[in-house]
Amino acid sequence: MILHTLSAAPGDSVYLDCLRFVGEEDALLLVGSGVYGALKGSASEAALLDCGARLFILSAHAEAAGVRNVSGLFTMLDMAGFVTLTEQYPRQLAWH
Amino acid sequence: METNPKSTLIVTRRSPCQGGIAKSALDTVLAMAVFDQPVALLFQGEGVLQLLPDQATELLGRGSLSRQLESLPLYDIDSLFVDAPAARHYGLDLTLCALAISPLEDSQIRDLMLQHHTVLGF
Repeated sequence: MILHTLSAAPGDSVYLDCLRFVGEEDALLLVGSGVYGALKGSASEAALLDCGARLFILSAHAEAAGVRNVSGLFTMLDMAGFVTLTEQYPRQLAWH
Repeated sequence: METNPKSTLIVTRRSPCQGGIAKSALDTVLAMAVFDQPVALLFQGEGVLQLLPDQATELLGRGSLSRQLESLPLYDIDSLFVDAPAARHYGLDLTLCALAISPLEDSQIRDLMLQHHTVLGF
């Protein structure tokens, strides 16, 4: 079980590498430029919804980027929620 | 699965041309080795380009990352792994690489991550 934090923009090679390695028992949190991946109707959103992991978005970053109205399959997290999530996963891996 | 309580896997994902992040990953590996911490290094995605032979970085006034990479065995750092699908994607001939490095497929990379207590991505 790994908590992946993805801050690379969709189209960045790191974004694609991350999606290759995310497993179904993992969680994936979008932060920074990674939040653009959740844009509704985009190819990157489809890839995320397909990856099988639990999906989260850091709400402040999404709002700052103007990424709103995302699919209900993403859970919006505040900072306290982020901390709680880190307690549930023994490993965290940053993709940036 | 056996997990060494203190082991760290460093994942380096950027080419040598992209700022100093590849160098930072390598510095972290060397610092850990100096303090006798068990450490492994994985070249992933675009990071496999660090392994290209004959890099003349001095032409750009930069230090040589490949020379530093070649020094890793001197620090007893021999847990070196490369993302095999990425190496194929970039047409990299690993036999030309000066380092003894183990190619891993996707599922093996995932196992490698789970075998380490801490995974640091660069």
